[in-house]
Amino acid sequence: MAIVNLENVTYKYPLTDSPALQNINLRVDEGEFVAVVGPNGAGKSTLCYTIAGFVPHFFKGELTGTVEVAGAESSTSSLHEWVLNVGLAFQNPFNQISGAKYTVFEEIAFGLENIGVPRDEMKVRVEEAMKLTGISDLADRSPYSLSGGQQQRVALTSILVMQPKVLVLDEPTSQMDPIGTREVFGVIRTMAERGMTVVMAEHKVEWIANFADRVVALHEGRILLDGKPREVLTSDILLDKGFGISRYTSVARKAKTRGLWTRQQLPVTLEEAAEGFQDV
Amino acid sequence: MSLNRSFFVPLDSPLHRLNPLTKLTFVFAMILPAFLSLPAFAPGMAIPVLIAVFVGGVQRQYRGLLFKLILPTILFMFFMQSVFLPIGETVIFQLGRFDVTLEAMQTAFLTVSRIFVMVSSFAILLLTTHPGELMSDLTRRGLPPQFAYVIISTLQILPQMQAKAQTIISAQRSRGLDTESTFLKRVGAVVPLVGPLVFGSLVEVEERAIAIEARGFTSTRPKTSLHNVPDTNADKIIRWIFLALVILSLGGRIWLS
Repeated sequence: MAIVNLENVTYKYPLTDSPALQNINLRVDEGEFVAVVGPNGAGKSTLCYTIAGFVPHFFKGELTGTVEVAGAESSTSSLHEWVLNVGLAFQNPFNQISGAKYTVFEEIAFGLENIGVPRDEMKVRVEEAMKLTGISDLADRSPYSLSGGQQQRVALTSILVMQPKVLVLDEPTSQMDPIGTREVFGVIRTMAERGMTVVMAEHKVEWIANFADRVVALHEGRILLDGKPREVLTSDILLDKGFGISRYTSVARKAKTRGLWTRQQLPVTLEEAAEGFQDV
Repeated sequence: MSLNRSFFVPLDSPLHRLNPLTKLTFVFAMILPAFLSLPAFAPGMAIPVLIAVFVGGVQRQYRGLLFKLILPTILFMFFMQSVFLPIGETVIFQLGRFDVTLEAMQTAFLTVSRIFVMVSSFAILLLTTHPGELMSDLTRRGLPPQFAYVIISTLQILPQMQAKAQTIISAQRSRGLDTESTFLKRVGAVVPLVGPLVFGSLVEVEERAIAIEARGFTSTRPKTSLHNVPDTNADKIIRWIFLALVILSLGGRIWLS
């Protein structure tokens, strides 16, 4: 059953002529993990903001078509009710720290205070969420004293504690070092395994290949491809349109022209490439 | 660099245990008589303020503030007003072309007493009250949460802005910008700093607005608070006493004048 449903969505930011999203049709089923890929300026962030309700409620501009999440329609809902269903985390962890709280524990409780969760329940939920994302040991630290990866996990926990039905992530690891990336992906993976619906814009295709159920490729505001991760991520179309593709896919594609790759399916990850090259 | 700048000293003193509003009432119960009651009152108000420092157990931190901030400020003001206020006839001594009169010195003493009481009592509030508790208590009592947010986040984000300005300066200097020679050159060097800092901050403000919005900041539901800030009967009694003292001191002024 679709929990996110976008029909014929076209959107223009204020004071711009060309639409950032054009005629988008996207259904995401409950519990599905959908990755969104695309070159810079393809509309990935705009798509994330649209599902999260910030387009058009926060950014204004002109939106046509319908955006539905968990049965509610974006145009007739208010943003503060919408965010109870859809959680959003984005690239810069530093800017997601509220600045109003002095410890990580308080920071995570901030959202619950805003929506009026009783104190006892709040404490239980914050503790559970921190345990889930593995940051219980940071509870008493200042959010500003943490590393980027830790801050991003705090930002994710701050959203997860609100128990949204859908989690929207806009390149959450783009500003992380390898350790931070691993930490953050670890949290997202846990969420996906627990059956949370996730829509994530991301550049790291090898990771997507392993964990996403579906990949949507965006280009100039339109959906170019929508399908199984390996089919989309190894498609020739992506290469032609300047998408970032896996280095293993590139190597295997070249090897194929010389008869050094014999499988039908091109690899995305190192493991797949290693296995495929063992055939020859 | 300390990334978490607040004056708060975590201790368990009688003053720390008071409700933030009670301490805020104390602040105004000191300031209002100092400014509005009889001039003779102002220096006297320093006594309860100094007693409060000891009750709060924050002598060491207060001493730091006293020597680094309060004393230099009030000594400077005292000097300026004593020398430059063109009032009075009783010349005590001359400083160059200026007559230092008894009346000017009395006025200067009154001004610095008032400033001392004001800054010190606020310092006591900040030294003994966690800013988060202060704001959550005031929000519970009807202060708009947006207002509380602006105050708290400014306190927290300023050091981050300073760090960022420093990074930009280092970046510009590594490209040959002169920030250490003559005054004029240094003023000129501020210009290329402003762009990245201001525009960068505007982007940050938008992102932070999205982030707090995503966490229900504008929710119309009644807000709750993680911390229970106790407000005891003793607090209420103390607040009434302070209020009565303010009324008495102001009434006394009207009565006597």
